[in-house]
Amino acid sequence: MLIQLEGVTKIYEVGTEKVNALGGVSLSIEKNEYIAIMGPSGSGKSTLMNVIGCLDTPTSGSYCLKGQEVGDLDDDELAEIRSAEIGFVFQTFNLLPRMTAFQNVELPLIYSKAHRRTRAERVWSVMDAVGLRDRAKHRPNELSGGQRQRVAIARALINAPSIILADEPTGNLDSGTGEEIMQVFEGLHKAGNTIILVTHEEYIAEHANRIIRLHDGLIASDERSAGASSPTRPVGSTERA
Amino acid sequence: MELRETFLSALRTLGSHKMRSALTMLGIIIGAGSLVAVMSLIAGLNQSVTAQFQSVGTDIISVSHFPWVQMGDSDEYRNRKRITIHDSDAIASLPSIGLVAPNIHTRRGISYGGESMRRVRVSGTTPEYETIDNYSVESGRFITQFDVERRRQVVVIGSDVSEKLFGFRDPLGKNMQIGGKGFVVIGILDEKGDIFGDSLDEHVIVPFTTFRKAFGSRRSVVVDCQPAAGVPMARAIDDIRALMRIRRQVPRDKPDDFAINTQEDLTASYKQLTGVLYFAMTGIVALALLVGGIGVMNVMLVSVAERTREIGVRKAIGARRRDVTSQFLIESVILTALGGALGIGGGAGLALLVRVATPLPAATTPGAVALAVAFSLITGIVFGVYPAIRAGRLNPIQALSYE
Ligand SMILES: Nc1ncnc2c1ncn2[C@@H]1O[C@H](COP(=O)(O)OP(=O)(O)OP(=O)(O)O)[C@@H](O)[C@H]1O
Ligand SMILES: [Mg+2]
Repeated sequence: MLIQLEGVTKIYEVGTEKVNALGGVSLSIEKNEYIAIMGPSGSGKSTLMNVIGCLDTPTSGSYCLKGQEVGDLDDDELAEIRSAEIGFVFQTFNLLPRMTAFQNVELPLIYSKAHRRTRAERVWSVMDAVGLRDRAKHRPNELSGGQRQRVAIARALINAPSIILADEPTGNLDSGTGEEIMQVFEGLHKAGNTIILVTHEEYIAEHANRIIRLHDGLIASDERSAGASSPTRPVGSTERA
Repeated sequence: MELRETFLSALRTLGSHKMRSALTMLGIIIGAGSLVAVMSLIAGLNQSVTAQFQSVGTDIISVSHFPWVQMGDSDEYRNRKRITIHDSDAIASLPSIGLVAPNIHTRRGISYGGESMRRVRVSGTTPEYETIDNYSVESGRFITQFDVERRRQVVVIGSDVSEKLFGFRDPLGKNMQIGGKGFVVIGILDEKGDIFGDSLDEHVIVPFTTFRKAFGSRRSVVVDCQPAAGVPMARAIDDIRALMRIRRQVPRDKPDDFAINTQEDLTASYKQLTGVLYFAMTGIVALALLVGGIGVMNVMLVSVAERTREIGVRKAIGARRRDVTSQFLIESVILTALGGALGIGGGAGLALLVRVATPLPAATTPGAVALAVAFSLITGIVFGVYPAIRAGRLNPIQALSYE
């Protein structure tokens, strides 16, 4: 079991008011699953992603990642887990504007203390995986939205994470470009990656093998589609990109 | 995160805000610059004053009615009784005193042939002056006892006078005018150098008696002397003080109405002067660095706020607190180090200018540079720490959703 959530709640306190962003979510996710999370605005999708991505810790309940309880970890330990196990893809790309595509992709390697000599090689291999080798020297403002998102995906991939988390990755793209990005995710899933993405669009969600619907911070439904690629492949049988 | 990467990334950021970075550095530039400039000037001052002290001689005791370094009530000085040649004779008869040279001074115009010089220092004295006051003759001879006894119209001239009045001609035996009176040149002095732009070589020396006849006998006499062989300086001074107080009838409860100057006094008051300079400099530098440091802190806080989202992204992709903190700290240190370097360059340049354009041999010492470097770096760290820690502590989710 890669991810195990048990009765996870997240309560935000705004002034005297309490917001139940997550009201007790239990969920388990295997390696190489491809999951879409859906639900109305404010239903807690991003909050759930933040918890799974170790950007935030649950108010109560337990979250085990690869068997380790995350709730007890401090800031720096969470940072190291994010560095080693998580790859984030954001709706707004979140590339650093003053750096080239290459430097943006390389940055997580610097934080994970990868040796300088091996870094370039790894950057080129993920740039190839997203088809952007010829745009490496470009800065984000010299790239199209789709290209920016591919750089962001390359950055998410660079440390060979256990999970790729994408919160509305196509939200800022037109449907054609969005479809291209979904092809990239498709490829990553085929290569053995575990992917969780949040979307509002049914046609995007259909790419996934499993759709979890949230409502008011609770899981309303959790369905597996009978797709070609089975979501329950045996652990260890796959190779990551 | 590797230091190299942090460093490069910091340079990139500062480079993208050149104007802001430059303005921020200004305080540090001024601080480091004034530190180096003032220390260079003091070093130059030390050098020229040391040379001057050496030219005075270490065991000279100079009794005069004004002290070399005057402080306080100048009215009191003005009303003092003159020191006379009889005082000089009395001091000479003290057993603890060796050589004695009474001397008196004025400024007069001098000329030879078509050449003339204005307001040249004219001294009247006796042969002992050569030894006591460290003069040496380059050619010809110094004043002799015979010259003094006979009130001969002879003169020993400084090297500048020789050069300006006589040029390539040999001055010895020539008849020159001092204050409208004729004198025969009998000697030329070795070069003594400058003190604060004032040449010590624009000087002529005549016999004591001749001076009094030619330029008046009412001037207060300065008595330069040395302790007798084997007598300590302090005892000689005590004896002179006791003698002079009796001769001038100074009441027991009153301070001396004359001055006994030694090289030590000169050193002491010089040290006092440089002490004041150092003190003032410390104030200026501290203030400039404080202002500069506050500027740095302000800019770094703005920078942290502007880059909140960037910090959120960095944390999301694996940056730890200390990665973010060290990034911002290095940025502020680079800022102040660069400012410090520019300031040091400016200060050293200023010192060089002073050295070339004035007689003060200002010199930038490695110590001054090291101090300025240290101050710049420390300012960067001290004022950069708070913004950097704030950046490191940002919550990643809040940072990522920052508009
Ligand atoms: N930092 C916060 N402080 C207070 N309340 C918050 C905070 N973040 C989220 N919330 C609240 O928690 C709830 C869930 O928010 P969340 O962002 O997870 O929704 P979402 O499903 O991602 O919505 P959307 O589809 O609009 O992105 C919302 O009611 C939101 O107002
Ligand atoms: Mg959301």
